Amino acid sequence: MHDTTVTLEVNGVEHSLTLDPRRTLLDALRHNLRLTGTKKVCEMGDCGACTVLVDGRAMYACLLLAVDCDGREIKTIEGLVRDGELDPVQQAFIEADALQCGFCTPGQIMSIHGLLNENPRPSEDEVVRAVSGNLCRCGAYRNIVKAGQRASELSSAS
Amino acid sequence: MYPFEYQRPQSLEEAFRFLSRDGSELLAGGTDLLTLMKQEIAAPNYVVDIKRLEALPREIQTVRDGGVRVGALATLSDVQNSATLAGPYAALAEAAEVAATPQLRNMATVGGNLLQRPRCWYFRNPHLHCWLKGGDDCFARDGRNEYHAIFDISPCVAAHPSDLAPALLVLDAEVHLQWTDGERRVALENFFAAPAEERRRETRIGRDELLLSVRIPGLPAAMRSTYVKAMARKVWAFALVSVAAAVHVQSGQIEDVRIALGGVAPVPLRARAVESALVGQPATIKQFEEAAALAVADAQPLEYNQYKIALARRLIVRALQRVTDGREAT
Amino acid sequence: MPIEHIETLREGEDQKEKLKVVERSGVEPWGRDASLSVVGEPHTRVEGPEKVTGRARYAYDIRLPGQLYARVLRSPHPHARVRRVDSSAAEALEGVHAVLSMENAPDIRWYENSKLFDSTVRFVGEEVAAVAAENEEVALDALRLIEVEYEPLPFVTDMLAALEPHAPAVHEGGNRVGEPKLYERGDVATGLEEADVIVEGTFYTQTALHNCLEPHGCTASWDGDSLTLYESTQGVFEVREQVAEKLGLREDRVRVVKRYMGGGFGSKQIAWKQTVIAALLSQLTGQPVQLMLDREAENLAAGNRNPTHQRVRLGARSDGTLTAIELEATLGVGAYMVGGEASNVGGPYQRLYRCPNVRTRKTAAYINAGPSVAFRAPGYVEGAWALEQAMDELARRLDVDPVELRRKNYADWDQKKDRPYTSPESLRIAYDKVTEAFGWDGYRRLPADGAKRRGIGFAAHEWGGAGHAPGYAWVKLNSDGTADVVTGTQDIGTGTRTGLTQVAAETLGLPMAQITLHLGDTAQGPYSPVSAGSATQATLGPAVRAAAADAREQLLQAAALLLEVEDPETLDIRDGIIFIVGGREYGRSEVEVREVMGRMAPHMILGQGMRGPNPEDKSVRTFGAQCVEVEVDVETGEVTVLRVAASHDCGRVINPTMVNSQVLGGVTQGIGFALMEERILDDRLGFVLNPNLEHYKVPTVADVPPTTHNAVDRPDPEANPTGAKGIGEPPIIPTAPAIANAIYDATGVRIREAPLTQWRVLRALLEKGKSDTNNSMERERR
Repeated sequence: MHDTTVTLEVNGVEHSLTLDPRRTLLDALRHNLRLTGTKKVCEMGDCGACTVLVDGRAMYACLLLAVDCDGREIKTIEGLVRDGELDPVQQAFIEADALQCGFCTPGQIMSIHGLLNENPRPSEDEVVRAVSGNLCRCGAYRNIVKAGQRASELSSAS
Repeated sequence: MYPFEYQRPQSLEEAFRFLSRDGSELLAGGTDLLTLMKQEIAAPNYVVDIKRLEALPREIQTVRDGGVRVGALATLSDVQNSATLAGPYAALAEAAEVAATPQLRNMATVGGNLLQRPRCWYFRNPHLHCWLKGGDDCFARDGRNEYHAIFDISPCVAAHPSDLAPALLVLDAEVHLQWTDGERRVALENFFAAPAEERRRETRIGRDELLLSVRIPGLPAAMRSTYVKAMARKVWAFALVSVAAAVHVQSGQIEDVRIALGGVAPVPLRARAVESALVGQPATIKQFEEAAALAVADAQPLEYNQYKIALARRLIVRALQRVTDGREAT
Repeated sequence: MPIEHIETLREGEDQKEKLKVVERSGVEPWGRDASLSVVGEPHTRVEGPEKVTGRARYAYDIRLPGQLYARVLRSPHPHARVRRVDSSAAEALEGVHAVLSMENAPDIRWYENSKLFDSTVRFVGEEVAAVAAENEEVALDALRLIEVEYEPLPFVTDMLAALEPHAPAVHEGGNRVGEPKLYERGDVATGLEEADVIVEGTFYTQTALHNCLEPHGCTASWDGDSLTLYESTQGVFEVREQVAEKLGLREDRVRVVKRYMGGGFGSKQIAWKQTVIAALLSQLTGQPVQLMLDREAENLAAGNRNPTHQRVRLGARSDGTLTAIELEATLGVGAYMVGGEASNVGGPYQRLYRCPNVRTRKTAAYINAGPSVAFRAPGYVEGAWALEQAMDELARRLDVDPVELRRKNYADWDQKKDRPYTSPESLRIAYDKVTEAFGWDGYRRLPADGAKRRGIGFAAHEWGGAGHAPGYAWVKLNSDGTADVVTGTQDIGTGTRTGLTQVAAETLGLPMAQITLHLGDTAQGPYSPVSAGSATQATLGPAVRAAAADAREQLLQAAALLLEVEDPETLDIRDGIIFIVGGREYGRSEVEVREVMGRMAPHMILGQGMRGPNPEDKSVRTFGAQCVEVEVDVETGEVTVLRVAASHDCGRVINPTMVNSQVLGGVTQGIGFALMEERILDDRLGFVLNPNLEHYKVPTVADVPPTTHNAVDRPDPEANPTGAKGIGEPPIIPTAPAIANAIYDATGVRIREAPLTQWRVLRALLEKGKSDTNNSMERERR
């Protein structure tokens, strides 16, 4: 079985990679590109820690083959800071203390990004649904919901 | 995960050619196949990625005869958000909405959802060679079976996990299959088949066939359908029991009714006995409760899943109530 | 020298001579009404920007040049002799750098008397071999090529079955772990005789899995004979000590680093096998090796909350006064004792309520399953599940409000140690605050009709969280007026960085932003204990305060020269400015810290501080209570937690935001324990059926209701100089029994077996329905 070549566009930068077709998008990000902000937890689509945006929509990077993402636009947690400034969702997570150990945080933030892309003024219930595929073992959920709503306020203000 | 060769066909012809090779598996959403491969329960030599195959439909659209065609590559998110799937077709969108998670719904396809393998924890354990994987024993039958089947219709007692399937069953859907030399349409009810000695799978799809689309026939505008699901937590769980119901009521009389159950057998089941008991009857809770009992009359629960009988009965009543008077049980 | 007192004493089974050291921090406690400006403020997490950007580097994120990746082959048998391990094919695979198994591993003792790779495996998931390879895919390929010959042995996975005569022996000495642990005061038999009402019941708590999102594991890297471990741990010094011992290394040649950790909850307070395996593989290959557990291994071999079986008896007079409390408990500890279990199931029975006659007995059993280890409030979660339901039953039997019953039996001194509490009023304040916030009005007794029934439930707790000596901190004041606060502790997600920075800022008079808090590196900071037992803030806070006070004193001496005042004690610092208290009529009255330090440069100020001892004549404990409201769908068994109100005592609230987050977290995990979390083990096969996050259900965002916390908020200056106590563990304790009590209130069904999954609730409701029908038929017949 041979390695394949793939072009991944991650956070606006194209990377040409040669890899084992078994390599998941998650491992390609974390190993080939050293983008370790996207977390590896269950590897089976059961936790949401590896959530990234693929063509603007939230997906689990552990259940995508890297080769299958050839030419798709991928956004990870590392792609949110602009000119050294935190983006509104990141800011809101800090303000609402929507994190404890921080391991699920990048995934939660990407899910809320996916939501705000499609729905800039979500209701509380819509925020709950948007992060319903992201486990937080520390139990910061209620603050994550607050952060989602706060992020929407901050986004519309900016 | 075992090594494999990755192929991305550019046409249907190419897809069939790749598929004809021994040890090929189709990859679309990948949310089931990749987990099976990671657990080394599936070990394809070739992974044929059809996710971006232009020739495969992904739209959800009304067709000329008034029915709806759902492309095999439509995602569960597409189904959930489809404006087409309203009125009589609402059960399908509702089923998608309570399936999995937003991320999985963005990835998983309708075709993959119908073809997914069971979630049985013995089947999914790479160390246990259960009957469904070609072994001799169904470990669940006398083991921990709180999430398993209450209808004994196969040597395997796994419960079918699909949310879309019961909804499509009550919409009388058929699947459109194609292979190199031809195509066929199969009623979804016949597409599913309890795993048997010679076919240890949940569907009758051929190894060389592609599922192109699902067709729902035109339904009377007055028909209403819904999907209810019981889960081990509020979201993100496969059904303990689920019920899809479609009902057409005229002047208080039930003209037409279809009911299907998920999570109770190795395949989704139409509850025909309930349906025939209800047709022509008044749409009252009393009728619903009496009829619902028929759905589980043949149930043979296992040690830990007795509760599913009561749950199935209750969810049938609730689903029927929801599509008749629009009220939940009180 | 801050050592105040030193003496020899003999401790432990071997009566080894040790030196008992008492150190004094030398700082006076902040009084209850002290006016503090930074401590007590809801500051956001200081490391927030690192965590929200993905920059925070966890053990799993370490990438060193030439780094290899290791995976472990694990036993598929619950009990077997390992006859032979043939790894030749694996070693020949391209990309494989080393394979380790019992055939070539050094003779390292582990878990009691077993070896690192033992010739007997005692649970599914036990380590058999390990591979280091260029990437994880190749490492997994190599595992498939290792041939192992097993001779399966009889096994037992149920704790009660394990204690039966003739049960398969997990270890040669039998399945009982040591002697049963007995605690007794007064005489329970007399107490039961005096009782007008006796409530008894048998309760069961399940095996719960920590499921920290970041698995256990580390990256090991050698430089000559020095080893560095980037480890996901709650205790860098514990890991250093244990690894040095196992590998025969000097402690100063082992450096353990942990900057960020993705959850621990008690499971990461010891060095586990994989750490030493990674170190050995790295030594063999001469390259850094990362060995992180996968989710299955995490759930099989890295700890769990042990299951318990509890027979409980409460005796009370008709006025509600408790006369007897009795507990007979059995625990299943897994295949080995690993250290760090701390499962004091009898704890709540011994202290929470006033009672002269108490007897608790605990028997632990080995079973052929993964070893258990502390899990957030170990023992107390399990004990409270039974005790707090039994109290609820007692209240029902006596027809009194369950909160009133608890007030009636209020324990305002430590009955176990027979001495006063430093905060005897805290639990009462918690009762008051939580019932008021919740609007507690006694049980509902709503008409029992309709499918959706609501009920309310109450439960209380007490717990440690005092912190303890030793613990050290250094403060370095830099030439630009900034400060490094150096500790050897860990922030396990609880807000330690933030809370300690606040203590330092308060003491130094510097803005938070001028201070950097260092932790998680044995080579940089002085000893700190493991972050467990809700102890970190209460242990390190006083040490940081003492170090900052030491630095402050020196700083004021220097400032006094610049401001030309004789007595530095007439000076104070706020927001980085040193000023003469009350000002002065002429001349300079203030100077910036930055200026003082700049003028001293390149000299710096070094402050040193340590944690003094806890009071010897009083007990420092924490207390709290929670009320919950649930809705039960009696036709489907579905339980919805509608709201939770909590009130907890952690002494002085250093940072209300962090404290509230701990409460949210505890309540969330308590909901999981109550309603869904349960390891399922097939006793016939010895397999765990749900070592994953699909079938092992943890709460999602949709399972957790609005939760309020009204802190008891009463500084405990007798506890330590900051007056703060722990809050990490307590909030999980009362949640589950409060939910069970609320379900009873809603349905009249008492389910003593946790968790209250939908199927268990529905099954119980159906059984009750049947017996109600039978009873009414019975009545009609009569």
